Amino acid sequence: MKKAILSLILFSGMCFQLHAQKIYSTKTGQIKFNASSPLEKVAAVNDQVDSKMVDKTGQIVFSVLIKSFRFENQLMEDHFNENYMESSKFPKAEFRGYITNASTLNFAKDGKYPVNFDGTLTIHGVQQKVTASGIMAIEGAKPTISGLFKVKIKDYGITGSYIGNKIADEAEISVNCKYE
Amino acid sequence: MKNKIVWALIIVVVLGVVNIWYYVFQYSKTHHRDVANEVATLVTSAQLVKDFQSDEKAANVKYLNKAIEVKGELLQENKDQSGNITLTLKSGDPFSNIFCTLQPGLPLPVKGSVIVVKGVCTGFLSDVVLNNAIVVKSVE
Repeated sequence: MKKAILSLILFSGMCFQLHAQKIYSTKTGQIKFNASSPLEKVAAVNDQVDSKMVDKTGQIVFSVLIKSFRFENQLMEDHFNENYMESSKFPKAEFRGYITNASTLNFAKDGKYPVNFDGTLTIHGVQQKVTASGIMAIEGAKPTISGLFKVKIKDYGITGSYIGNKIADEAEISVNCKYE
Repeated sequence: MKNKIVWALIIVVVLGVVNIWYYVFQYSKTHHRDVANEVATLVTSAQLVKDFQSDEKAANVKYLNKAIEVKGELLQENKDQSGNITLTLKSGDPFSNIFCTLQPGLPLPVKGSVIVVKGVCTGFLSDVVLNNAIVVKSVE
């Protein structure tokens, strides 16, 4: 009997936990990549970003498929995949981490909140610790995260034959994800 | 005579450079890969998800960057942040479906019907992802 009551209490506690925490997600987030140099425009967009976020803990993950990046120039897209990202060998890139100031966010109140990220970024099979900042806009209880950060291409072991003269050694990554 | 050869050489080199420039910066901008012109193998949505779940590496070798035709029941129709139409095909596994982004300006299939979508497989996240897709036919 005691056991039954205990498990009931535990169960209701778990239910409360489940209610208290909400997972926001999207499969159509947007990440833009820009490694343009004064000589050449090297920019792409990916509209198939998979992202999930837990409101209470600030836990967040972004996953992208490299082959989903679309360039204006088909030849550039092929080079990006074959020579730089080796996307057949490393089809995915991922960020896993936390919004470090999640406790300051109020998902029930419309507004714009500054957010800080801390986690691990995996590109081209290489993991690096990164921190970044961005903005979370909440509208009708639906959050949108936008942010911009820079990635040193060499840190991820990306060594295309043109690096150094044709494309910038730092790539700008901008994120814009509308969650449901 | 010598002059003529020099001129001929100059013309050949200039034409070569112009051709390369045209191919790299003009042709490649206007000529994108189009799955409509590619030969594709047909696979069911259930089989495609199963292949990726059981051995992702082998499935990547088999499907990645290739044009494939996927047959499945339409679960959802949506728009992404750039305004492209996205279709989700049921696979039988509620947590893992086929997610397709269509090429812009295409007519929509009817909801609830079984359709065949042709697109380029870009890999596996929580769903198997198809890009640059077109709806080949509605079966029912």
